[in-house]
Parts: sequence; C-alpha cells; structure tokens
Amino acid sequence: MASVSKLSRHQSRMGYLFITPTIFLFVIFTIIPVIMALYLSFTNYDIVSKNDFIGIDNYKRLADDPIFWTTLKNVLFYSVLYIPLNIIISLSMAVLFMRKRIGVKLFRTAGYLPTLTSGVAAATVWIWLLNPEYGLVNELLSKIGITGPSWLAEMPYAMLSIVFVTLWQSVGANMIIYLAGLNGVPDHLYESAKLDGANAWQSFRYMTWPVLRPTTFFVSTMSIIGALQLFDQAFVLTKGGPANSTKTTVYYIYQQGFGQLQMGYADAMAFALSLIILVFSLLNMKLNKEDESII
Amino acid sequence: MRKWMTVITAVTLTASLAACSSKTDTEQTKASTKPEATTAPASATAAPAAKAPVEITFWGDWGGEGEKQFVMMADAFNKSQDKIKVKYVLQEDMITKFLTAASSGGSPDVMFWDRWRTSLYASKNVLHPIDDYMKRDNIKRTDYYDEALKELSAGDKLYGLPLTVDARALFYNKKLFAEKGLQPPKTWEELETAAKALTIWEGDKLVRSGMSMNDNGLFNMWLQQAGGSMMSGDMKKTNFNNEQGKQVLDFWDKLINKDKVYKVGFEKGLGEGTDAFVTGKVAMTYTGPWMLSTYKKYGKDLDFGVVPPPTGPSGGKGSVMGGFGLVIPAGSKHKDEAWEFEKWWLANKDNALLWAKTSMNLPGFKPALQDPFFKDDPNWKPFMDTLEFAKIRPQHPGYSVMEVDGLMPNLDLFVQGKQDAATTLKKGQEQGDKLLDQNAAGK
Repeated sequence: MASVSKLSRHQSRMGYLFITPTIFLFVIFTIIPVIMALYLSFTNYDIVSKNDFIGIDNYKRLADDPIFWTTLKNVLFYSVLYIPLNIIISLSMAVLFMRKRIGVKLFRTAGYLPTLTSGVAAATVWIWLLNPEYGLVNELLSKIGITGPSWLAEMPYAMLSIVFVTLWQSVGANMIIYLAGLNGVPDHLYESAKLDGANAWQSFRYMTWPVLRPTTFFVSTMSIIGALQLFDQAFVLTKGGPANSTKTTVYYIYQQGFGQLQMGYADAMAFALSLIILVFSLLNMKLNKEDESII
Repeated sequence: MRKWMTVITAVTLTASLAACSSKTDTEQTKASTKPEATTAPASATAAPAAKAPVEITFWGDWGGEGEKQFVMMADAFNKSQDKIKVKYVLQEDMITKFLTAASSGGSPDVMFWDRWRTSLYASKNVLHPIDDYMKRDNIKRTDYYDEALKELSAGDKLYGLPLTVDARALFYNKKLFAEKGLQPPKTWEELETAAKALTIWEGDKLVRSGMSMNDNGLFNMWLQQAGGSMMSGDMKKTNFNNEQGKQVLDFWDKLINKDKVYKVGFEKGLGEGTDAFVTGKVAMTYTGPWMLSTYKKYGKDLDFGVVPPPTGPSGGKGSVMGGFGLVIPAGSKHKDEAWEFEKWWLANKDNALLWAKTSMNLPGFKPALQDPFFKDDPNWKPFMDTLEFAKIRPQHPGYSVMEVDGLMPNLDLFVQGKQDAATTLKKGQEQGDKLLDQNAAGK
C-alpha cells in the first residue's frame, strides 16, 4: 500500500514539474498583465507621461459615455443575430455533410475554406462584392428584379452585412466541431431508434441534439466570446459607420487607448467588457446545465 | 539523487524557456531593422575612416516605394558628409511602437510625422522642440506656410519642419466636361449645375455620378467655403451649429436628395485601379495631390484637370491643409545630429526638391515650390493656389474624435435622410462638445 501512495506522490510531483514552465509563462504573460490592467483602469495612464491614481473616475465616465453604450448595443444586436444563426447553420451543415455520399468531402472542404482566410483579407474582398452598383451581390439581386441597398453604407444593412461576412467565415470551423460531435453518437442508437419507428426529425430532436449538448455548449460559448470581441470585420468593412452603427466595443477600446492615449480609460472599458462576457458565459452555462432541453 | 537531477533539469528548462522568449524579442527588433541592407555597404566602406560616424535612426511608416524614397534620402545625406549616418527603419505600426519606445528607451532620433497628431502628442512631452536650433541656424519661418508650422506647434514651441504640404482641390473629368460643353465650376451654383448635367441614372441604378459626395469628413472644408469654422476662436467649443453649417447641409441635401447626383455608398470597395474617378463613373471629386500619380498611372484614357475648390454662396474659399513633417522625439540620444539631418532635408532647396520630385509630393519648403516642376505644371498649380487659403484642422487634442465620433455619425444620418439639418447640427454640437471636453489634454 505504501508503495502505491509513494508512486502517486511521485507522479503528482512530476506533474507539477511538467506544468511549471507553462504556469510560469501564463503568470508572466497573462495573470500579471491582467492585474496591472485592473490597476491601470483606476489611473489616468496615458502610456507616456501620466499615471496618477484617480479612483473610479474612469468607471464614472464610462457610465456617462454614450458612445460606449452605443458600442455595447451594437455588439449585443450583432450577438443576438450571429450566435443562433451560427449554431443553426454550422449544425445543419454538419448533419448534411455527415452522410457518406459522393462528393461530400468536397462540400466539407468548401465549407471549411473561408475559415482559412484572414479576417481582414476576406473583409476586403467582401467590401467589393457588396458595392451597391457594381458588386456581385446586387448584380445578382438585380437579375431577379430587386434593387439591393448600399450594404455597407446604409443603416440597418451595414450590421447585417457584418453578421453575414463573419458567419461566412466562422461556420466552417464550427461545422468541423459538430462533425466531430456527431461522430461520437453511436450508430446502434440510431438503429434502435429506427426500430422504434422514429423518423429523422425525431431521432435528431431526441437523440442527436441532447448528445451534442456539450458540443453546443462549447460552440455557443466561443461564439459569445467572439461576438462580444468583434473587431477586424467591423474595422475593415465599415470603420464603425454609418452613424456609429457598427462600432464595436473593442474598436472603441483600441481607439481610446492607442489613438487618444487614454489607456486608463480604455482599461476600464476592457474590464467592463470582460465582466459582460463573464455574465453571458455564465448565463450560457446555466442554460446548458438545465436538464430540460432548450428546444 | 535522480529525483534532484529531474528537478534541476526542469528548472533549467523553465529558465531557458523564459530566456528564449526574451531573446526572440530582441531578435525580432533586429530582424525588422534588417531590410535596410541597402545602407549597409556604404557604412562598411566608410567605417575604416578616422572617426566612426554617429549613427541615428529614422522611423517612418511608409513601405514599398515610400521606403525606397526614404532610404534614398538617407543615403544621399550619408554621402554628403562623414560625421552622421542615418538609417531608415520601417515601422508598420509606428505610433504604437513609438509610444512604448518613448516610455522605455529605444526611441528613434528622427520620425516621419503626420502633422495633425502634434497637438495630442506634444503635450505629453514626447517631442523635442526645435526653436533653439531654428534661431542658431537662422532658419527663416517665412520659408514655410504659416499654417503648416502652426500644425507642428503646441503652446509656443515648434516641434518640427514641414516635409509636405497638401490640400484638397476639385478634380474633374475633362472629357465628360467637354461633351456637355461645361467649364470647371468656380462657385457652388456652377458645381451644382455641372454635377446635375453629368449625372446619369438608369432606372434606380446610378451609372455615373456628377460629383462624389463620398466623404462626410470634408464637412470642414465645405463649412469654410460657407464662411464658417469648425471651432470657436478660443478652441474650446464646436462652432458649426449656425447659419453656415445649415448652408452646407442644405446644399448637400440638394445635391444628394433632390438633384440626385450621388448615391450613398456608391464608391465603397472600388480600389485604385477601379476607382470611380479613374473609370469615369464619377465626374468630379475632391481629393488631394497624393492622387495625381494614381490617376496618371491607372487612368490611361482619363483626361483630368484640377481647379481650386469652388466658393460658397458668399464667396468664401476653403480647403483643409494637411501633410507630413519630420520631428525629433524627446527620447533621442542624438538630437543635434537628428537636427542636422532634418535641416539638410527640409531647409535646403535641392534636397527638398529631390525628394518631392521622386515621391511626387508638394514640398513644405517654399523656395523648393518655386521650381518650375511645381510652379508651371497645370496639375500642381491649382494645389498651390489652394494652399494660399487652406487652413489646418483646429488644434485640439480631441478634434479628430469630435469629428469622427460626434459629428460624422450625425452627418451619416442626415445624408441618408434619417435626420433633418437642424437636429443634425444640434446633436453634432452636443456630442462634439462633450467629446472635446473628455479628450482635452490634461484630463
């Protein structure tokens, strides 16, 4: 008996030893900067000359900053559209491409391809495609008699375009995750379901969906975090316009910190944002933990 | 015993990992300075000479052609004397890099500087004033545009010399004008007439726009033409919520919504080669001298002319002056040498001209502008005429935020017909004043 506990003690010691370098780097490059940023959010730090403690002034200013609230409203609007669509589309793609048919690999590849392009490059191409008079999108719409809007320059359409472009780019990755999840559903379950007379929808609804719960939890959590941190596409596609309707919180943080040298204020915003992300992630966790299924 | 060995290995492993991460940092900076190998051979041959020259670094964020032109100037300077050696270092994200360098050492000696930044940065004491040098070397302030020097000043101090000067003027398509028998417009009325005549719609598709109304950021120059100004005389509050501001918006409304000479978003996504002016889809546009080379390069069939901006209803002239300069960061260890380089480049007719002609920019040094290359060229001349009345952006650290986040969102709503002129100006003023206040220096 004694030798076993000795062995496990030895193992745990070795375990700690092996994770030491990672933890060491994690502390230096993540934990310490986060603590410093928290401190700086209570100062008027401007990167170069000032760093005085000013209490909660930054947070007070935050509460009174209409642009900050606008950016939050924008990312929430974006999230409400983006997250459900992302899950629905990537899951349907996964279910569709799960079947072993000829050419399915080609479709899988095509679905995943957009993920490989850099956000900025893809956005640059989409600006062109979305041009109101000469872009491919409106060109196609005009073939069926619809006059398309100025996608990126008109109010409700600009954010919709960003939702669309980011979806186009991210569903591929989530499709792969769902495909992996689907592979984890044992075939014999489907067979017995079939024997019990379940149709395709029923077996999806009562078997696949519950089994995929952890996958959905992962995908939705990552989408929430990603959505609240939206930056690249909004920056390239619309520069936050028109009328600040696509300005995101991260964009505003960047602008205030590096553009206006108000790093203390930018830090305060970053903490407010991370708090919001935390709240939504917890909410998502709660929803996914419930025994009753969501749909 | 063996256990201790593993402990030691692990510790050394951790240490070496940490060392690695710090090493790659320095390696990266080294690598980023490497591409300027073009200057290296010169130093190799010069080195054995009696005294090693002082090496100074010159930061800029222009790559490609721009980088070659900067390196050429550095080389020319290095050849002109043997005491100082300048090295150009391309910094893609120059300002961010400079901020970290300014607070932690490693600052460059000379920096390529977008002048409007001065009012925000000078108050942080990261730039070195050059007034003493100017006095010592007898550099005449009259050799530069007042407005350009003003843009490089903060408080009573001057922080650099102008490298380029620019202002927007009206580009027009000569061929399209000739087809309709039109003359380039001199007033708002003529501008409207020409724009209306040149616009073509096919159903609800805009085929050709008479006048580009793409950039709401040009409100500043339209306002000057109407006889107004963006900010109050004391530089504390916005000053566009008045009759002049209304004149501009009414005129925009007429052009965009009644005459329909433009469609919001028309030019979005059209790059250099497919630029709406190059391809004749826009007959007139406000832009600066930086587009001359592009239009010449891509517009083989494009016959264009340039005229100073048309005047407003009461005859007001207006354009916004901008441009670049060279500044010496406060953290520089070789300020005297940096000044020698700056002076050689920006206070000497031949050198200023050399770069201006290669890079196709209007030089900030006035005597260089007297060269026939600029003075007698029909494309450069209108810009020089425009520069006579062009004004810089108001000098307030929060000006750009006020314009971009306070005013422009409201202008967006206005041109889309979602907000009337009075509300636009009122909300622009309220939000603008607030932003000015929040982003004032010392806050």
